[in-house]
Amino acid sequence: MSDSEDAAPRVAIGITFGNSYSSISHTTVEGRAEVIANEEGDRQIPSILSYIDGEEFQGTQAKAQLVRNAKNTVAYWRDFLGKSFESVDPTPCHQSAHPIAHDKTVAFSIHDSESEEPNNVTVSEITTRHLRRLKDSASDFLGKQVTAAVMTVPTNFAEVQKDALREAAQNAGIEVLQFINEPVAALLAYDARPEAKLADKIVVVADLGGTRSDVAVIASRGGVYTLLATSHDWEVSGSKLDEALMDHFAKEFRKKYNTAGDPRKDERSLAKLRLESEAVKKALSLGSTASFSVESLSAGIDFTATITRTRFELLARAHFAAITRLIQSTVEKAGLDPLDVSEIVLCGGTSHVPRVATSLQSAFPEKTVVWAPATRTDAINPSELVARGAAIQASLVADFDQEDIRESCHPVVTVTPHLKDAIGVLAVSGDERGHGKFVPIVLASTSVPVRRTAIINGPPAGGDVLIKICEGSKRIHVEHKEKKEREPVEADSDDSDAELSEDEEPIKSEVWHTERVIAEAALRGVAKGAKIEVQINVGPDTGLTIVAREVGGKASVRGSVPAYEES
Amino acid sequence: SAPAHDFHAFTPVSAAVQREIEPVGPHFLAHARRKRYKRTFSEDERI
Repeated sequence: MSDSEDAAPRVAIGITFGNSYSSISHTTVEGRAEVIANEEGDRQIPSILSYIDGEEFQGTQAKAQLVRNAKNTVAYWRDFLGKSFESVDPTPCHQSAHPIAHDKTVAFSIHDSESEEPNNVTVSEITTRHLRRLKDSASDFLGKQVTAAVMTVPTNFAEVQKDALREAAQNAGIEVLQFINEPVAALLAYDARPEAKLADKIVVVADLGGTRSDVAVIASRGGVYTLLATSHDWEVSGSKLDEALMDHFAKEFRKKYNTAGDPRKDERSLAKLRLESEAVKKALSLGSTASFSVESLSAGIDFTATITRTRFELLARAHFAAITRLIQSTVEKAGLDPLDVSEIVLCGGTSHVPRVATSLQSAFPEKTVVWAPATRTDAINPSELVARGAAIQASLVADFDQEDIRESCHPVVTVTPHLKDAIGVLAVSGDERGHGKFVPIVLASTSVPVRRTAIINGPPAGGDVLIKICEGSKRIHVEHKEKKEREPVEADSDDSDAELSEDEEPIKSEVWHTERVIAEAALRGVAKGAKIEVQINVGPDTGLTIVAREVGGKASVRGSVPAYEES
Repeated sequence: SAPAHDFHAFTPVSAAVQREIEPVGPHFLAHARRKRYKRTFSEDERI
């Protein structure tokens, strides 16, 4: 295929292929990332294929077939790619075509042609058909044939899964330029905003999907990203919220029509219940009440009910708590404290649920920014984040040779030394009385080489200044409020114990601790109230070059510290 | 420049931790370019 490549210019898009939904995206001529709507007007295109008399349906049309034509409808198969039947969890496919073992891979037995006999269609072939449709939708929108894409994958997608996806895409006529990790794509979408400022920060990206949730803790250092920890959970997901609503409406239905059966016991009723519950959940993300209405839900009875957001939040309380816990535990896994987290980026469809964002905001310190529609008016649509990131990356690498991209992604380039501790200065001036205060300049977990500059205050009186270059680490200082109004008695009931501990919630704050002095520099004869600029250059071998000078003055001092060597 | 005795190096920074950076975004691509052509920051800026 590379032979015919030289003639036509490459047209590259971003593709986000999920178990529940897929998206296609591109960057406009002005360089803005945009998600493309398909012919049906959907930007979140259900990853579902359905067949009636040999005719293929996809997206929303196929999703509607889950009720009447479930056996010939294929859904939730992304995670099966490149895997053996024994290693996959078929649970999400209970209400559609069931996966079966086929050679070393997974297939679906469906009537996808007009013949009486069903065909075994592999997940690879299903993926190809799905990606071909996505490619055609994007080509129609752009008015030119799409030939390449940057695709997003979860951080735990193994090489064999990527290879299988690459092959399926190739069969659909798509050259995969690069696979990028979903959480990183989401972060890139935020960092690419014109108003975004480059900063050194710890960001948690929580991708809350339909059948799974993935959390990543990322060190963002001047726009370079390093994954510090990841979690994946198939129990915490949007479908659990749907199920909370399904149970609620099924109970309401039975209360009203006690002779009719449980709609959850009949496959078709269950499918209707599930579809409408998902729609109600989405409506409750936008409004404070929503109505549930299904024609002939069970035993030929139409059922209509309304629900408020408050009621829904009560029904699904345990699931919201589980999402918060999953995110907290991933921060812990990274060896960090919630105080270390500057931002939480929520992406994935479930992030639209207001309670998810507000519970997180209250579980994390006030200064932690939670990017979700409920907590920030300037948040980007969480459903579009990953796709936008893919489009941005596609525009960056579209002109590169496949060989160039492969070499850039090679471990020789990507595996780099990261600083263990922060490097900064201990500013010793009159007001700090000898002890000094550590000011970090290059943070821990920054990849090298790196260059950072900081401006610190000189002594108010001027004169000679001693600049200590130190390694520092952040410690969490816990202050227990001393409230000894009454001694805790062991015989106390559990209830009052809980109250007591809530009263005495410790106050945590971060404190910099100076680990050791790396170097000292002296600046002589600094003017009164001068500002001092300190530049720290960390070489690829972690050797330092330090330059300190008085801002606007003549005095400057320069020196270097050799790299650490294993003895 | 300042006299040599105005600067004292005591000890190197702690041993670094090898980690993988994500090959995504404009700043990574700049890093990859520098690394592949073995350029420093200032050399890269001049080009």
